[in-house]
This record gives sequence, structure tokens and C-alpha cells, in this order.
Amino acid sequence: MSGIGHFRLGHLTLRQPPARDSCFTVVLRDSEMHEHAGSDPRALRETVHRHMSNEITSLDIAAQCLAEFPDAPWELRLELARQCWDESRHVQVLHRRLRELGGHKGEFPISTFEWNVTCALDSLAGRLATQNRTFEAGAMDVVGSLAPAVRGGGDAQTAEVLDGILADEIHHVRFANRWIKAMVAQDRRVLLKVASAVRFLAEVNAALQSKEGEANAVGTVMPDPAQRVPAVNVEDRRLAEFDDDEIREVLRQAGFRSLLPEPPEPPDDRAEPA
Amino acid sequence: MAERARRIGTFRYVEVRLMETAAAWTPTTSEMEAKVMFGRHIWEFAQHADALGRRMLELRQAAQQSLPPAAGYVALLDEVLALDDTARRLAALYDALLPGLVLRYESYVRQADPIVDAPSLVIIERILVDARRQRADAEQLRHDLGLPAPAAGPLAQREGALELVAAPA
Repeated sequence: MSGIGHFRLGHLTLRQPPARDSCFTVVLRDSEMHEHAGSDPRALRETVHRHMSNEITSLDIAAQCLAEFPDAPWELRLELARQCWDESRHVQVLHRRLRELGGHKGEFPISTFEWNVTCALDSLAGRLATQNRTFEAGAMDVVGSLAPAVRGGGDAQTAEVLDGILADEIHHVRFANRWIKAMVAQDRRVLLKVASAVRFLAEVNAALQSKEGEANAVGTVMPDPAQRVPAVNVEDRRLAEFDDDEIREVLRQAGFRSLLPEPPEPPDDRAEPA
Repeated sequence: MAERARRIGTFRYVEVRLMETAAAWTPTTSEMEAKVMFGRHIWEFAQHADALGRRMLELRQAAQQSLPPAAGYVALLDEVLALDDTARRLAALYDALLPGLVLRYESYVRQADPIVDAPSLVIIERILVDARRQRADAEQLRHDLGLPAPAAGPLAQREGALELVAAPA
């Protein structure tokens, strides 16, 4: 079986992309993507297409972790195996929604950035820290804002799909948090692996993300990257077992913008007292 | 008891290898629909391995212990893992390895005491249901993608001629 090699980006070594259908155009930089302005009728299709592509990549990453770390604890391998099925269902449901919206796979360029970074790392703790604890947690923030916005725009079906996916992603982040903590408790050196993985991601991100004022491939002018950080989905991050300090740090990076949890249901005055 | 544990532990080894094979193939397979199918089957193979591994503890072995099969069978698994064409991968896994494994599970079921070894039989019956559906999934995938079905007969014959369970040390 042919393995997947590496490539150089400046002084950084990234993993070559995983295999994709020939209908897809795989690009490396943000600016090569076809992100349309919100009012453009293609914007929602491109968003669904992008999420579908990211789910394929998440499936590839979880599967590669199973293949490349055969000595990982069995209970962790079970979590990764379950994640493979979850991600494959996400691909299916987003592909179905894309077709319902009149789109098709390969309609827009895709990126395998998350794979390029995560699978370049040689430790499972580092991969869990980037893919599950960073990318998937970031997706929780994105989807946490996107689902209500899409619903507000009148597309309840896409919002339902995104809500369902979000519920699964919370567990992927939670099991990574639990296992990283357990690995660090067993061997403090794992913390160095995690820190170096996070630093590596920051370096790659800085090299590839679009700059403020740069126009992408379809002419959309990109804002300052700091302004693109989504509002923090505090409620779901708590469910995924981020602690208060970690949530404070993510909030700081997002300029203290957070999604407000749904207010609790008011008490039913008609109910009989207990 | 020891013989049953040897067979259950060997089945567990094979299920883990099937999980790892589908996992290794996922990033190197181009077709999105094939990746999606592998994603589900990875989880099913993992569940089979987990159930068999729990059963090992009940058979006075270490929980989640796998026992490597005979060397020839391990070599066959390695050979299948090394395939890199989607149609040949599907043929090897779903038309050769899985049908052979189904026959071996069915043989276990026929030979087992239905009362003493009922917990093993319950696990294996569930595996058999999955294995039949997995083969149907692969057939449907080939149909949907218009993939050829390379002859799996020679590989299936080799599989059938091999001992699965290694001789006791």
C-alpha cells in the first residue's frame, strides 16, 4: 500500500493530502477557496460543501490515527473508531443536503489543511490536541453560530443537520480532553508534545491564512484574521469538558465574544405545587 | 475452555486487523462513498473486537487479549492490507476474507455447546449479521460507483486452505 508522504512549506514539514475523488480541486491557502459574500446565492452551498469536505478530512484523520498508533490504549482506539463512523455519517448527511440545495461534490475548491497539519505530527496526544481539541472545538464555535443564523435565514433543514453534527462533535472534543489529561497525568512529557503541536499549528496557520484586505479566488475581500475568530460556544465547550481557565483563554483570543446559552424555560405558573 | 479461548482470542485479532485495514485504506482511497462505507465498518469491526475481548476475560484470559493466528493467515492479512486499488480492496475484503471468516464463525457456532458457551454464540451471531450486511454494502457501493468486481476466487481459495488458529505454543 502506498503511504502518504510529506512536503515542505518554508521551514515547516506538512503531510501530503489524503486521496480525493478527481472531481475535487484541492488547494492549500485560504485565499484559493471560493468563500462568497453572505448575500451570494452560492454562499450557503459553499459553506455546506466546505463542511462536508472537512468531515471527509476528519474521517481520514481519525482513521489514520487508528492505523498509525496500534499500541494506543484499546478504549481510546474504540473512541477513534466510533469517531470514524460519526464523521462518515456527517459526510453523508451534508452530501445529501448539498444535493438538496442544488449543489454537487467538487463544485468548489476544498482544503485538507487539518490533515496536512495533524497528520504531520508524530504523537497521538499532539494529534488529539490539534484535530479534536482545536479544529473540532473550533468547529463547535463555528456551527454554534452558523446553525441559528441559517435557521434565522429560513433554512431549518440545514440548521437541523448542523445541530445534529454539533452534538457528535462535542463528544469527539470531550474524549480528546479526557485522554490528553490522562496521558499527561501518566507522563508529564506529553505536555511538551501537546504544546509543540499547538505551536506548530499556529506557525502553519500564520503561513497559510489570508491577510486582511486580501481578495480570495472569487473576489471576496477577507477581513483581518483576528476578526474571523468565531464567537465562543461556551456552553458546548463546558460539555466537552474544557475547564474555566481554558474557556477564559479561548474567550480572550476571540475578543471575549461568546454565544449566549438559551435562557431557561420560565416556570409554568399553572403547575400544581409539589 | 482453553481451546475456546484460543479461538475467541484469534477472532479478536482478526477483527482488530480488519478495523486497522479499513482504517489504513480510508485516507488512501479516493472515492468519498468508499471512505464513508469504511468509516461505518471500522466502527463495526471495533465493536466486534471489543465484544470478543470482553468475552476473553470470562474465559479466564486477560480482557481484550488478542491471539495471533497461524503465520500463513497473518501473511494473508498483510497482503490484503497492502492492496492499493479500490476495486481490488473491495474484492479482497468483502469477497474473500469476510466470507471465509463467516464460515469459520459458523463452524464455531456448530461446534459450541449452546448452553455452556451461549455468551460467545450471542456475540458471534451479532457479528454474522453485521458481516452479511457489510458484504451487501460493498456490493451496493460497487453498483453505485460502477466499479468492477475483480475475481476474488483465488484469494478466497487460499484463505479457505489456511489454518486460522495457531498451534498452541
